[in-house]
Amino acid sequence: MKRNFIHKKTFAIAFACIGLLASCSSDDNGDNPTVDPVEPTAGRWITVAAAKMGDNPGDGNGGTLIYSVTSEDAKDPSVSIDAFNNGLIVPSNRTARLQSSEDGSTMFNISYAGDTGGNYTKYNVEGGQNFTKIGTEVSIAPYVGTAPRWIKLFDGDKTGSAVYVSTEHQFDDNGTPDDATDDTYSRTEATMGVVTLDLENSSIKNFEESSIPLTPEEEALGYYISRIDMPTLNAAKDKLYIGARISKVDPATAESDSDFEILGSKTIVLDYPSLTNPTVITSTVGHGNTNGYRSINSFLYNGSVYQANQSDPEGSHILKIDANNEYDNTYDFNLDTALGVEGAYILAWRPAANGKAIVAYRHNGSAEGVAGLQGFFALVDLNAKTAVKIDAIPYDPDFYLFQYQGFVVDGDEIYVTQAPVGENGNIYVINTVTGEVTKGAELVNTTGSHFIGAF
Amino acid sequence: MLKIVSVLSLLLSFSAFSQPAENTKTGTVTGTVYFKNGNPVAAASVFTEKPIKHVYTNDKGFFTLEDLPYGNYTIAIKYYGKEIEKITIKIDKQNTQIKHTLNYNETNELNEVLVNGKTKETEIETQGFAVNVIKTEEASIRNIQTNELLNTSVGVKIRQNGGLGSEVSYSLNGLSGSAVRIFIDGIPISMYGSSFNLNSIPTSMIKNIEVYKGVVPVHLADDALGGAINVVLHQDAKTNLNASVSYGSFNTLQANLNGLYRFEKTGFTVKASLFHNYSDNDYKVSGRSVVVTGLGGVQTPITARRFNDAYRSTGGMVQVGYTDVKWADQFLIGVTGSDDYKEVQHGAFMTITPYKDRFLESNALLANLTYQKKDLFTKGLDVKVNSVYGKRNRSVNDTVSWAYSWNGDRAIDFRGDEYQYTWRSQQEGGPTLAKIDRKVASVRTGVSYDINKNNKITANHFYSGIDREDSDALRSVLENTFKGTRDLHKNIYALSYELSAIENKLKASVFGKLYQQKIISIDPDIAQDEDGNAIVVDEIVNSNKKYEGYGFATSYAVSPDFTVLASAEKAIRLPNETEVFGNDGDNVVANPSINPEQSNNYNLGFRFGSYKIKKHEFSIATNLFTRNIKDRIGLPIETSLNIDDELILYVNQGSGTSKGIDAQFNYTYNKNFGVNFNLSRFSLNIVNNGIEIDVPNTPFFTMNGNLRYSFKDIFQKKSRLNLFYTMYFTDEFSYLPEQGTNTVGDEFFKVPTQLVQDFGFSYAFPNKRLVASFDIKNIFDEPVYDNLSVQKPGRAFYFKLNYSIHKF
Repeated sequence: MKRNFIHKKTFAIAFACIGLLASCSSDDNGDNPTVDPVEPTAGRWITVAAAKMGDNPGDGNGGTLIYSVTSEDAKDPSVSIDAFNNGLIVPSNRTARLQSSEDGSTMFNISYAGDTGGNYTKYNVEGGQNFTKIGTEVSIAPYVGTAPRWIKLFDGDKTGSAVYVSTEHQFDDNGTPDDATDDTYSRTEATMGVVTLDLENSSIKNFEESSIPLTPEEEALGYYISRIDMPTLNAAKDKLYIGARISKVDPATAESDSDFEILGSKTIVLDYPSLTNPTVITSTVGHGNTNGYRSINSFLYNGSVYQANQSDPEGSHILKIDANNEYDNTYDFNLDTALGVEGAYILAWRPAANGKAIVAYRHNGSAEGVAGLQGFFALVDLNAKTAVKIDAIPYDPDFYLFQYQGFVVDGDEIYVTQAPVGENGNIYVINTVTGEVTKGAELVNTTGSHFIGAF
Repeated sequence: MLKIVSVLSLLLSFSAFSQPAENTKTGTVTGTVYFKNGNPVAAASVFTEKPIKHVYTNDKGFFTLEDLPYGNYTIAIKYYGKEIEKITIKIDKQNTQIKHTLNYNETNELNEVLVNGKTKETEIETQGFAVNVIKTEEASIRNIQTNELLNTSVGVKIRQNGGLGSEVSYSLNGLSGSAVRIFIDGIPISMYGSSFNLNSIPTSMIKNIEVYKGVVPVHLADDALGGAINVVLHQDAKTNLNASVSYGSFNTLQANLNGLYRFEKTGFTVKASLFHNYSDNDYKVSGRSVVVTGLGGVQTPITARRFNDAYRSTGGMVQVGYTDVKWADQFLIGVTGSDDYKEVQHGAFMTITPYKDRFLESNALLANLTYQKKDLFTKGLDVKVNSVYGKRNRSVNDTVSWAYSWNGDRAIDFRGDEYQYTWRSQQEGGPTLAKIDRKVASVRTGVSYDINKNNKITANHFYSGIDREDSDALRSVLENTFKGTRDLHKNIYALSYELSAIENKLKASVFGKLYQQKIISIDPDIAQDEDGNAIVVDEIVNSNKKYEGYGFATSYAVSPDFTVLASAEKAIRLPNETEVFGNDGDNVVANPSINPEQSNNYNLGFRFGSYKIKKHEFSIATNLFTRNIKDRIGLPIETSLNIDDELILYVNQGSGTSKGIDAQFNYTYNKNFGVNFNLSRFSLNIVNNGIEIDVPNTPFFTMNGNLRYSFKDIFQKKSRLNLFYTMYFTDEFSYLPEQGTNTVGDEFFKVPTQLVQDFGFSYAFPNKRLVASFDIKNIFDEPVYDNLSVQKPGRAFYFKLNYSIHKF
């Protein structure tokens, strides 16, 4: 490839010389020194994900880079990680949607947008920029499009799942199919596609399509499910929960409404692994959406699934879905109350097996930084329903967590990345039991860019 | 209509009735927001955070926040690019009114500059503009498309998403998209739609193509930020006829006929041009996304022929009138009609899910009027009017829900069954039969007057109007009823003054342009009449904008074979209807206070030659350029605040710079051997929020060259054989911004270096009326890409016959 490149340029320049024109050639010193593989010392790999700036500072669309160090190095503040200069650029036209195996030895990626959008790739983590691609090519694009929302299920790294919803407004022709003038809006049909991907064998496991109606009363007002994401398995592994965003149209005009009463948070429950028989459950505790953004939004703990919600007028809640696959409306865990702030919004979160979790959030008091509202981390106790802002981590106004994707859970410890847009930061390791925070390796940043987590 | 109104009112009352009962009382806050100087603030964002309510102020600074439960509130007011200001209020009654004056003023006023100018119109090439004039004479007898011809011109880069008829983007010195305006005889090509464009118009209809880079003379005045391309159609008034037909690879057939007949006595003239293009575009493609998917999703790479990419365009122009008569050099009235059909094989990228039976159709029917007269009434007063008026329509058809594979057959899913996409169409987003009908009108009027031999003034007025109507047969009448429409009217006035001095060694012109744009947004909504019934009313909002630009062009002949040229312009691109009024479908809201994009463009050129040494003759021309853009229009990034709401609006984002050099070299020997070579290199940076980046996905270095050799009397006496060789070189570029020094995985995003070589010959028979030509494109069958992984045609052969009569 490289030889070919030089050959072509030489040819073109030679042509210029035929033309008696001395053309100045450009410097093509594209040879890069390669970095020696870093041998793992002990423990697990910690893979840092870095999102380079595209057009706008903090947009993360200029390439997603990954770089791995041992957990010892990750905890060592004298270690410096320069993922933007030394990382592997993950194949994805826009910010990649990454997942890792529970032990950190494998990275999973599904390319987001572009010609290979929907392609699944799997890498063996070998330290530094060394990731060996394993498995065969498979794509979920035929089922859920080239910009898929996917996550890994917690079934021992066996399955990934991605979802898609398409909507169509339906109208009542009033018994006169030929006369369209008396047609009225009746409801919006939302069709859900769910695909499951065999992460081990790189193949499609299952795909089903189903209609996901709301109640007739809600539909008459113009409410419908407009976006879905974040499939999570229940404890019995016989149901899949999928988060939902509710939108609304004005039934009179079928134009979208922006200022409407927000309904109780909803989740789609469907049979697993058949992916059939969907029902919608509604919380009376939380209002707002449950589809999260780029990070897993609900987790199994102690037999129940705990789910964060977003855009809740009362501030984000962590909601609880019990083994009976219904919301436990006696469990009321409001972040505003727990943190003593207003407008808390959970951007990403992750519990350890002990019921303590790290929550990335913003609230009304967040400063407006270069890429949106400032983010914070809190240590949360799912049982005690308490949340404490972690003050040992510095919070610059340009530190934002909207695109945050990755937390490493290693026993009681949770690893996070922290760096304001365009500035260096660090890995922080939080002991969820003691609350002790360890400042880890330095994260070397580059202009307009940020880190989207550790895996 | 009455029926729909009553049904709507029923529905309204129903929905009001079914609202959940409110336990708490709620109130409404209305208010007005002013700037420090007392002017009302339009499009300021006004919100409460708990509960989240969000509105924008209207043009009068007025807003309403409804349904706020009684209590204390902090109301935040945010104007783009400024600090949030907060007001605390208590709501304890139904209506609360507030008035707020911001601590700052609007800062987007433009500096007003007026230039008194006068200009000339002839001999523009020597006026100092950075201009290429591309001759079509040779191309018209060969198998060369207009776009290919443009692509070989220095500083111009064409990027095409496939074969004949596919989508094209034009870039001039690094500026592309709506920064480049394209005209046919001074009328924007967009008036004609995609059926009559540079993909369909044969080179034989064209006299020449002018490419103005950065600085655009008044006869093409428009909001052209980065330059203009003007296709000049034939204007001779001599009886002639020419016809040609070309056939080649991918079942490509191109035929055209041009004729003009003038009655010598009366000057009555009939002029007609017809064209027909067809191609299957079934060229071979391969690569990372060209695969066939089997059980479980297993992928097998294949080399496939494109199967849904055919293109057809047919059209013509007929004009009648008088030429070279006392009262007019040209007075012609006519009709332009065209129709095209284009299948769409894939979206912006070639993915593993190729489209089947998605196609676009467009047609246009426009009346045209041309009037030209030199020395009207008095010597030195020239008048030229070009106008079109008519309709153009475009439709998208995508209703097939079955998935297809790159081998052209139905695709199978992981179970081995044929399947339908969840979105029930080929392109994600759902089935569509969308139709956009536009009524278009455009008039360009130019008047110039020679005050004396050395001084000239030119005035030019340009109007264009688009009245647009959208509909989709797959949507309900209700949805189509409430879909907003936007009408756009643009008036541009330009004036220039042109001077030649120091024995014509110095030529200079200065010009000023006044831009006026009116956009009318019509958004049907529901209101109540005096009886309380719901009725549909059109909410009409106007946006009126006025801006000025100015510039100059000058040349000085230091010696007969060395000329220095300099030109500069403060150029503008007016925000389009979506940028001003948003787009309901994409959740983009209006920003009536958006500013135009602006650019200060500079060119400095040198021309050497031509030098003659015995039978050798050569010349060199270079141009150095910078384009300093500010107020680039774009969308802000997605944040947790705007992800779920309709809160995104187009904003002026930051600045940008394109800097570079164009160079051209020409050599001829004994008039039968010729070499042309040109290169263009630039760097393009943008600054957003104070951070500068190199714009990715930009081919920044291109070279083109061609050789021709001509033999006389080789097979037959008086015959002529021409041999041609052309090469196009584009340096590697990346879809991603520049990465770190030691990263891996970069190659995935690279558009590789490309070198395409064409070879051809033409043979003119002794009677000079018949010319046959044969061309091989991409001789070495290189994989060619203008855009990341979108492969263009490989090796192709074309044969063409031309017949022309110039004397009857």
